[in-house]
Amino acid sequence: MLEPLPFCMLSNLQCCEVFNMRKIVTFAVAVTAMASMMVGSAVSAADGAALFKAKTCWSCHGKDAKTPLMPFYPSLAGQNADYMYNQMVDIKSGARSNGQTAAMKGVMGLVNEAEMRTLADWLATLN
Amino acid sequence: MSVKPVIIGLAAAVAIGLSFSVTAADTSSWKEKTVSGETDEAMHLEPDYENGRDVYEVCSACHMPEGWGFTDGTFPQLAGQHRPVLIKQLADIRALNRDNPTMYPFALPESIGDAQALADVTAYIAKLKMNPENGKGEWAEGTPEFEQGKKLYADNCVRCHGDHGEGNVEKFYPRIEGQHYAYMLRQFEWIRDGKRRNANPDMVEQIKNFTDKDMKMVINYISRVPVKKEDLAPSADWKNPDFD
Repeated sequence: MLEPLPFCMLSNLQCCEVFNMRKIVTFAVAVTAMASMMVGSAVSAADGAALFKAKTCWSCHGKDAKTPLMPFYPSLAGQNADYMYNQMVDIKSGARSNGQTAAMKGVMGLVNEAEMRTLADWLATLN
Repeated sequence: MSVKPVIIGLAAAVAIGLSFSVTAADTSSWKEKTVSGETDEAMHLEPDYENGRDVYEVCSACHMPEGWGFTDGTFPQLAGQHRPVLIKQLADIRALNRDNPTMYPFALPESIGDAQALADVTAYIAKLKMNPENGKGEWAEGTPEFEQGKKLYADNCVRCHGDHGEGNVEKFYPRIEGQHYAYMLRQFEWIRDGKRRNANPDMVEQIKNFTDKDMKMVINYISRVPVKKEDLAPSADWKNPDFD
């Protein structure tokens, strides 16, 4: 897995202050960032689809992520990525415990935050 | 999704064999409070193995096509479980005698069908071969914790769950050998603490003084009891050919 981009940039910026190589490092960061975005998105698409099945999300939310098992379960295809990520984090931690969350909390041990991010980003790309 | 005719024939023979033991089931005093009417109904129906396989497709999304659940205990292994146990738990979950918000909508008649579907799907599940590498507790044989768990098992559990955790078909006592450690630990705790409402009151009484450590040691022990080879799949990589 690639490091999340913001941390990558931060550490490189700190780096360049120390070594006074700002321009070179900035260029390197930009190249790295582009590369990681390109690789990252390819990895996410494959990973997202695989995780959606392997982590049993599709059991309730539907194979197409928009035909939920129960009419009051949310449709996820095309939903806002950060919104979905935040709901997953909060349902797992118990910070959110209302509505239908009891049905989902039991499976959240199967996913870590990096996997939630991948799932959320992938689901947001679906129509 | 194709099953060879030989397997169907074999399954039919087994299903007929099973139906005898099933009708002889006795739930004794436990029955009055915790066995829903649908359990009785499903127990007396002739199971259709082939339909059971079709019904199981819904279940397989979480319990996996092999019926092995997850070794981390998120979902239990169903493969090889006794039919009466499976029927009772399904009926209890949909009658809201056992709280399981994750499974509840799947157990509804709209999702899987009526009492006949319970009879059918459980005939299919009971015949599945078990995961040869179930989730186990942390203490290997020979450690003090393993030995203490073994003693606790002999003193508290063996009378109902049997020498090697085989359970009891007639009395609805589950087979616990080969089950995932983390799943059993969760259920044990819920039974002890009153969260599992369809628990057998005799068990609640039996384990009421178990500490958390006792609980872990006894579950560790039973999670490590070997299952008969003929009940296990050939390897942990085995895939159920009925689903792809």
